[in-house]
Amino acid sequence: MEKLKVDFNKVIESLKLSEESINSRKKNFNQFVENGFPNKRVEDWKFSDLNQIISSNIESLSFHADLEPGEIDETTFIDKFEHNKIIFINGSISKVDFSFEDEKKVLITRDLNKNATIKEVNSLVSLNNALIASYIGITVKENYSLNKPLIIYNITTNNLKSTAINLKTDIVLENNSSLKLINLFDDNSENNFINTVQNFDIAQDAILKNYKIDHKKNSNIKYSYNNINLKKNSISENFIFSVGSKFIKNEINCNLNEEYSSAFINGIINLTNSQHHEIKTNINHLAENTKSYQLIKSVLNGNAKGIYQGKIYVDSKAQKTNGYQLSKALLLSENTEFDGKPELEIYADDVKCSHGATSGNLDEDAIFYLMSRGLSNQQSKELLINGFLLDAVEKITDIEIKDLIKDMIGITE
Amino acid sequence: MLQINNLKAKIDNKEILKGLNLEIKPGEVHAIMGPNGSGKSTLSNVLSGKKGYTVSGKVTYLNENLLDLEIEERAHKGIFLAFQYPLEIPGVNTNIFLKTSLNAIKKAKGEKELDAIEFLKLVKKKASELKFDEKILSRQLNVGFSGGEKKKNEILQMSILNPKLSILDETDSGLDIDALKIVSEGVNALRSKESSFLIITHYQRLLEYIKPDFVHVLINGQIVKSGGSELALELEKKGYESLS
Repeated sequence: MEKLKVDFNKVIESLKLSEESINSRKKNFNQFVENGFPNKRVEDWKFSDLNQIISSNIESLSFHADLEPGEIDETTFIDKFEHNKIIFINGSISKVDFSFEDEKKVLITRDLNKNATIKEVNSLVSLNNALIASYIGITVKENYSLNKPLIIYNITTNNLKSTAINLKTDIVLENNSSLKLINLFDDNSENNFINTVQNFDIAQDAILKNYKIDHKKNSNIKYSYNNINLKKNSISENFIFSVGSKFIKNEINCNLNEEYSSAFINGIINLTNSQHHEIKTNINHLAENTKSYQLIKSVLNGNAKGIYQGKIYVDSKAQKTNGYQLSKALLLSENTEFDGKPELEIYADDVKCSHGATSGNLDEDAIFYLMSRGLSNQQSKELLINGFLLDAVEKITDIEIKDLIKDMIGITE
Repeated sequence: MLQINNLKAKIDNKEILKGLNLEIKPGEVHAIMGPNGSGKSTLSNVLSGKKGYTVSGKVTYLNENLLDLEIEERAHKGIFLAFQYPLEIPGVNTNIFLKTSLNAIKKAKGEKELDAIEFLKLVKKKASELKFDEKILSRQLNVGFSGGEKKKNEILQMSILNPKLSILDETDSGLDIDALKIVSEGVNALRSKESSFLIITHYQRLLEYIKPDFVHVLINGQIVKSGGSELALELEKKGYESLS
């Protein structure tokens, strides 16, 4: 912790911050120091003891950011479709490119004093608030829909100096605007802790499509927290592709604040070896006629561990809520573990809420059927696994991005 | 083509096949009839390689020991089983599955694999012969198919894969008379000097449309009587009890 204090002071000194901002950061930093990394004694973390995971994977944590933006390796870019780009390399912004858009309609700020502080969620969000060294805020103006998707590349390189990175993005969608966003992780460093916080304010009739892609096998430990606030008749569609990292916990907190707003959270966890991934959602139905839908499909191999904790909260004001969640897991070896914890907390009486969970192995009769048609055992299993995952992928409403993810899984059509 | 000598099969320590003998020559159509529980489905499962059975005896197929071959190797060498209950495979497109299957077999035989266009041409032709709605082929494999559609899909697969030995396990069950005619026409179209059929059925009905060269009666894990197609009619009149 002493080292952490030195790093914190270095970060504060290196940034031009307002008095108010410094005070807020100090407060957040103290909150982290008081609580430390979450461990399994914290209810929401009982399946993923981050404190233990960090101490056994990272020798010494350092947070002093490298503010030298690195070289951009263009081969990591998605070349299947044109897109706007924000590129973080080792935690600092190296490029912001909205060349497909009307610059009066998409406002960008990098002013660290302006970032929207998310208060007292947990110690990791406090840590992020205290230490972020580069930041981006995007506002999409009223009635504007971006012409092309935005990809935020979160790249680490093998010459990263600090062992931990904090990333922060705030996105505001004004009335009747829309954005397709991909957060893509491209990890080339080893044994780092990457702590990402994103805040979304979605105004009336606006649509956010938010896809998170962690596809490249890597040894990093990640936490990602998304806070999403929705106003009347707005939509937030989320997809989590959780495949690459050694450990990742994706947490989404979604507030359906006004009527007819809706949230969709679908995802895939596909793991091998000793990977450990968790998806944790909190959907808060806070107004009438709000809707939420969640489908998580997990495939576990080796000694992998997958977790889905999905909570649906329905406020007493939120009559006519429609909430649904389903988790299905395939456990392909005896040493895998899947933990599912659905939670429904309902204070209104006229609601439709349901949840379901299944886990099991591949159907031997189905394998026999496919093999009797000449497919090898391996081919048959792959076909069945891809078929199992496809269900969730089909929920993606953007065709380009759906195809991109199908390609990453190896689903051919 | 196929010689079965003293075939025995056990599952969960229960003996189902108790010393079965049968020989099928190229171009012949054999029907196996028998009451429920006589071992009909076990025979088709054992011949196509399903796991879970303890098998003894000898099965020679095209001069090879069939029981030593893996499930997919049997398919590569021309054995096809039309399932009594074709499985629903969610998320797997029927066309993709058919193409993967055909090309896996072609590859094993050292033949040139079909590209997407060649494959579609072939499928279109075969589907129209079987009066099979092409739209169904872009759906997930057997998912939401009616009983008749599932069985037609089996026959479509059979006609695309063009096997040497086709085993039809109660293909007639659950078919209405129109579907039965179409399925039978599909089978009859595949009859040739080189290809043989083993038709497993409970009722004589199917054999009105597919005329067998030989009929065998399977009771309690053994073939108790063999004869020509007239044996099926006799069974229909007298029932299995007269033979047991």
